[in-house]
Amino acid sequence: MPSDIDPDSDLLQDLPTAIEQRLADLLTACESIELSMASDIRADGRYGDTWLVATDRRLLSLDPTDLSAPPRQLELTDVLAIELRDFQAIGALHVRTADGGLTLVRFTRSLMRKFNRVPKRLEDLVRRAQPGRDTGERIASGGADIGGSARRRCDRCGRAIPRRFGVCPACLETRRLLIRLLSYAKPYWGLGVLSLSLMVLATGIGLTPTLLMGSLLDDVLAPTSEGTALRPLLADAATHSRLLILVFALLLIHVSSNLLGAIRRYVMAWLGQHVTLDLRNEVYRHLNTLSLSFYNDRETGRVMSSITQDVGRLQDFISDGLQEIIRDVLTIIIICTILFAMDASLAGLVLLPVPLLVFTTLRFGGKLHFTYRALWRRWASISALLADTIPGVRVVKAFSQESREVGKFEQRSGHLLDGELRAARLQSLFSPIMAFVTRIGTLVIWLVGGTRVLDGDLTLGSFVVFTGFMWQFYGPVESLCRLNHRFQRAGTSAERVFETLDSQPDVRDVPDASIMPRVVGRVEFGDVTFSYDDTKPVLKHIDLVVEPGEMIGLAGHSGAGKSTLINLICRFYDVSNGSIRIDGHDIRDVELKSLRDQIGVVLQDPFLFNGTVGDNIAYGKPEANLDEIVAAARAAHAHDFLMNLPHGYDTIVGERGTRLSGGERQRVSIARAILRDPRILILDEATSSVDTETEVKIQEALERLIRGRTTFAIAHRLSTLRHANRLLILDKGEIAEIGTHDELIEADGVYARLVRMQSELTRRKIW
Amino acid sequence: MSEIDPTYDLMDELSVLDPGTARLWVDGYDELWLQIGEAEARGPLGVQRAFPLTMADEFVSLKDGDGDEIAVIRRLGELDPDSRAAVESHLSWSYFASTIVSVYSIEVQYHIPHWDVETDRGRRVFELLSSRRDVRALPGGGALIRDADGNLYEIPNVSRLDAASRAIVEDYV
Repeated sequence: MPSDIDPDSDLLQDLPTAIEQRLADLLTACESIELSMASDIRADGRYGDTWLVATDRRLLSLDPTDLSAPPRQLELTDVLAIELRDFQAIGALHVRTADGGLTLVRFTRSLMRKFNRVPKRLEDLVRRAQPGRDTGERIASGGADIGGSARRRCDRCGRAIPRRFGVCPACLETRRLLIRLLSYAKPYWGLGVLSLSLMVLATGIGLTPTLLMGSLLDDVLAPTSEGTALRPLLADAATHSRLLILVFALLLIHVSSNLLGAIRRYVMAWLGQHVTLDLRNEVYRHLNTLSLSFYNDRETGRVMSSITQDVGRLQDFISDGLQEIIRDVLTIIIICTILFAMDASLAGLVLLPVPLLVFTTLRFGGKLHFTYRALWRRWASISALLADTIPGVRVVKAFSQESREVGKFEQRSGHLLDGELRAARLQSLFSPIMAFVTRIGTLVIWLVGGTRVLDGDLTLGSFVVFTGFMWQFYGPVESLCRLNHRFQRAGTSAERVFETLDSQPDVRDVPDASIMPRVVGRVEFGDVTFSYDDTKPVLKHIDLVVEPGEMIGLAGHSGAGKSTLINLICRFYDVSNGSIRIDGHDIRDVELKSLRDQIGVVLQDPFLFNGTVGDNIAYGKPEANLDEIVAAARAAHAHDFLMNLPHGYDTIVGERGTRLSGGERQRVSIARAILRDPRILILDEATSSVDTETEVKIQEALERLIRGRTTFAIAHRLSTLRHANRLLILDKGEIAEIGTHDELIEADGVYARLVRMQSELTRRKIW
Repeated sequence: MSEIDPTYDLMDELSVLDPGTARLWVDGYDELWLQIGEAEARGPLGVQRAFPLTMADEFVSLKDGDGDEIAVIRRLGELDPDSRAAVESHLSWSYFASTIVSVYSIEVQYHIPHWDVETDRGRRVFELLSSRRDVRALPGGGALIRDADGNLYEIPNVSRLDAASRAIVEDYV
């Protein structure tokens, strides 16, 4: 059996010493322990270990907290049946004897997988202890060795995997995500360096006007001013020319800094867009390789937003966020250096409000973050309501519940208002407080610096430079305080994107997969067991050989496993146990594409893509020529109605093909399957959603399609299976009956009953 | 034009068990049986609640081995005490949920919230797959929590938890 875990290690756990000692008293010398497992619910219903022990002679259950009590036990020779009961919330192992029964252990769902294997193991032990027992008789029931590994737990670390993740986030190494993100920018590193140097240059230039202002005051205006009265300054020509130089320098600075800014912005946008282009395409390419189970666990909207929103947010971070951080740090360093070089004691005063600034930003930042998160949830609840009621508007109107729906909306809308106002309150408080905190710095500088100017310690120019730089200094400090959120946001987006990228398809080619040769059509199921969730088997021990060209009709109650069987043939999922072979090749050993290329599927609700009818028919064979398309449409009995469409084969079918009726869509999808010329054909309820007349047409179309191909057809309307060579009746995941129509009617089992019920129904419908 | 059949009463569709004549018991095999009047006893039976979250003691369905419903108990309280105890003992195992009495901590590691709680069945540590989808608000201020393996935990009323537990839980429920 292909399994990478030792099947016995889980069934033989190390016993605690206390239990071991107790067992030494209880067991005879030559008794060997064959199974020992801890359950997690005690007999009184509290959480705690109870040990299930099986020897070659008996079964015991022992409570480690109460070892003095006589253990619950019974001899293997007394066992009539072993039953693993699956209550919804817990499981229980029940043993039946001639004069009673005993629940040996109970366990939570966490141990369900492990205990699923117990009945089989115990059955082996019972058989050994009761050699005379009929081998055909079933002893164990419930539970199944599903094999494989749990899907919702990480293979590497055993942690649970969050519902919206396809990969264990702990193993994704969150901290290295941003570094990994930067690796996408690596091909463009030259541009990154260019833009960074442009930015450094622009930052430097951006600081110079303040210095020029100082120079203007000290070197041009101050020496010539006397007093404060308004009168022409006594200025010589040299001073005038100095003024002109300063004005010209300022002009130059503004022109160049804006020019540099423009160039840099474009360079960064180019870089950011290219990185996201690569990332976006990679995400979509990867999404297409992922198995169905990935999509089953996720809402479509979420998958879509990882391509649209999350990638976009990463672009913001790469092109703006990161560089702004570098710029802010640089600005702070440069300004500090200049200020301290000019006047160290005054510079110290500038730094005075910084701790307060940092504290307020962090404090408010945290609060705002929570408020916005709550706000976001309220928005989401409104969207959810809309997504629910707008498509359901017919129902709302039919039951005249408009006012209730409006009421629901208004209530949520009101909640949103409360949240928005709370955010607004915080925001409107935040800015004035920040402004005030920075003003404190100004006050101090005015007081101290002003006094020193009056005392002649400090030039007026230096004073102006100081106040100027001070303003330029607080901005970056503030924005760096919000850095954490910025990183967090980008981190979350990066995580979602890489989560998708790192998700591995459950179904994938093995490294040395061979190409599936042209299929003849012999399909063998060898003891196939399958479970979607690793606990409840949907198919159990299916053994079946289908000959080339044979048509197998699949019937049974809903939930019996018919569609699952078909999913396995297409290898949308891999079997949990056993194997499926086509022409002798295990389908897990061949390339997926080469397998699916030879399988044609017609589904109950055929999905057509928005495009022309012709494109849809040729979907599986884009290189098909017009002759082939029309021939396929004719074979599918679709040609006549297609010709009557306004633009014939060029008619656009609309989103999901909604402009065609159900029966028309169905025939287009049959044409699509015919054109592909599959060797194995799967018809999943292909005629269930159409009227009787259309059904007859589709049946005719299908008969041509089926000829010579191995076909699996599911149908609730059993009359549609009349062409089947054999009928396979599934019941609760097992083969209940198999044979031709006549044989099964003769056998008078499940199928005969279904047929009787349906003809009864038909009679009632007619009369 | 035909009239609506005046004898038709929607309530006739209910067909609930007559608590006066029905007797339920658990046999030596730990299995549930039902006998109505002098008719043959039926079993072993499974039990299922129609409103497990909101009206746990009303509309309890009895099912045979194939999962087909054979009878509905309208109100558990109407049964005789022995029958009621028999049904309740089966229900308590079938709906094995524990009640969270206090919360020690909820730590989120790699998006997985780890709950460390005290329940009426003892202390338990469990993981959730998603805080959003696996925590369901119950009418009356309660919450139902489903862990990564499908086990259920209930908080009957969040506001009645002790202050420390409530502070921890409030962000999640």
